[in-house]
Amino acid sequence: MNPARVICVLVLMLAACKAPTLHRAPEYSSDLVAEGRRLIAQAPARDKNLWRLRVALLAFKQGRHKEARELFDLALPPVGTVLAGGASTRRAKSLFAPEEVKVFYGEPFERAMGWFYRGLLYWQDGEPDNARACFRTAQLFDGAPEADHRGDWILLDYLDGLATAKLGGDGRAQLRRARINAGRTKLPDYDVSANVIVVFQFGFGPLKKTGGDTGEKIVYASGHAQARSAVIRMPDRTFAAPALDDLTFQATTRGMRQVDWVLARKARVKNAADLVGDISFLPGVVLAQPEGTRTAGLALVATSLTAKAVGGSTQPRADTRTWNNLPQHLAFATLRLPPGEREVDIDFHDANDNLISNFSRRLKLNIKPDGDTVVLVADQ
Amino acid sequence: MNTSPIPALGLCAAMLLGCASINDPSHGVNVTQLRADERGFVAGLGIESQDLVTIADKMARGILGAGPVANAAGRPNIVIEPIVNDTRFPIDKDIFLTRIRVALNKQASGQLNFLARDRIDALEKERNLKLSGQVTGGEKVQQNEFKGADFILTGTFKGISSRGKAGASDYVLYTFQLLDPQTSDVVWEDFHEIKKQGSDDVTYR
Repeated sequence: MNPARVICVLVLMLAACKAPTLHRAPEYSSDLVAEGRRLIAQAPARDKNLWRLRVALLAFKQGRHKEARELFDLALPPVGTVLAGGASTRRAKSLFAPEEVKVFYGEPFERAMGWFYRGLLYWQDGEPDNARACFRTAQLFDGAPEADHRGDWILLDYLDGLATAKLGGDGRAQLRRARINAGRTKLPDYDVSANVIVVFQFGFGPLKKTGGDTGEKIVYASGHAQARSAVIRMPDRTFAAPALDDLTFQATTRGMRQVDWVLARKARVKNAADLVGDISFLPGVVLAQPEGTRTAGLALVATSLTAKAVGGSTQPRADTRTWNNLPQHLAFATLRLPPGEREVDIDFHDANDNLISNFSRRLKLNIKPDGDTVVLVADQ
Repeated sequence: MNTSPIPALGLCAAMLLGCASINDPSHGVNVTQLRADERGFVAGLGIESQDLVTIADKMARGILGAGPVANAAGRPNIVIEPIVNDTRFPIDKDIFLTRIRVALNKQASGQLNFLARDRIDALEKERNLKLSGQVTGGEKVQQNEFKGADFILTGTFKGISSRGKAGASDYVLYTFQLLDPQTSDVVWEDFHEIKKQGSDDVTYR
């Protein structure tokens, strides 16, 4: 026997005997921020900002401010950045790619929330003027078509004015705007000596879904929150924090996006191509049978198939990627407390002011000796 | 038919490369080195390096030309106060102050003396360590030798911003004042204003 064949057979046998490669099950830790970082690393470039925002908020809720700051800074383009077009936005506008191929920066309510949280972190770092800058930028994103809904975030105006008052300025205009937008909910006067700002968030925010015949529109599934107010209880006093801003309202009052016109055009092309494909196929097949009309019939069949191919390839689907750990409502309270560790009890109440006992908790606050302490508390 | 496979392979490679560049939204642009006062291709509506350089140089020239500074006997001591940011742009205030101080020092050729009042905590700590004998040099500290300021330089940034369907517009007014702390006189004042406008790509509007 040819020695080359023998060697070949031996190699094949050895290769067959090789133990299969074992793929270990991935190890997951209970550290959600670390797991989030893993997801950011695995996400495609266009989705990284979305994951950064989700993980940044998670880190903020856990009091891991340094990590939250770093992730928000990566996810949010510097204030004033003009989001220019590039390869991904050109694809998003093209017929044959869905909108979500573009890099995620979020809808205006998501961008506003990103800057809101970043502002809170600036305030916590002893930079209330930079915090105020973030709140103003966040408010500017709310460019709703109706004047009543434009720039109507209550907490952004209130905190803008509070920062201004604390810096020795006049925050009355911002307070007046916040009170107008708050309606019947009473907003307290500014207490510039308050050194603790507790921001509450209740429930789960709105989610994007596709709407329209071909998924070319964004529709919002309303957010949900059982809690509608929080109460901070201390031995000698209590502070109430009713729900103020409603994220579903902010998401749904922005009006039509300009990219919706692009998606509507794609939808028209898709529908027209599908229609042409549907109505020309059968006549084409019929006409292709007799010798005399065969050429015309085959042309119709070819047109039908081409139209169907175009219709099937056209992707008018709207971008429904959502920053899905945002809350439904925001609230706040300001307190004046001596520096050091303090324990406070927090209760949450529903719309009928009934206590939601399983949400109650005791919170340990670490009050800074200088500057303001900012705390973010979520109901669940 | 006996044809060379090379053209076909080349065509395949070109198609694959083409697909890669379209599908990768993160593909970038080669690094370009610019002067700090040049406007880059990622220019935005905010406060940028070219604004910083222009403003710092303009203010430095103005301060050096101000009568009380130019005619001061000896080297006047100057304290730079943190800038008050009343715009919608979060800024690193240290970088503005550092740039102005460096520009002043460069153009004044040692005619001005800056006091590190922003480092007062570290300076006091060091002096106390010396006085307590925990570190050497305490014998040289006779009294409070921290200098008082002859002038205080302050700055305020204010802005007007608007945003609509057509795009966004930002006007920022940068004002600087040199104050005499003994008399509260404003001995010098100047401003610089910048208006920018731009519009996001239609897919982000």
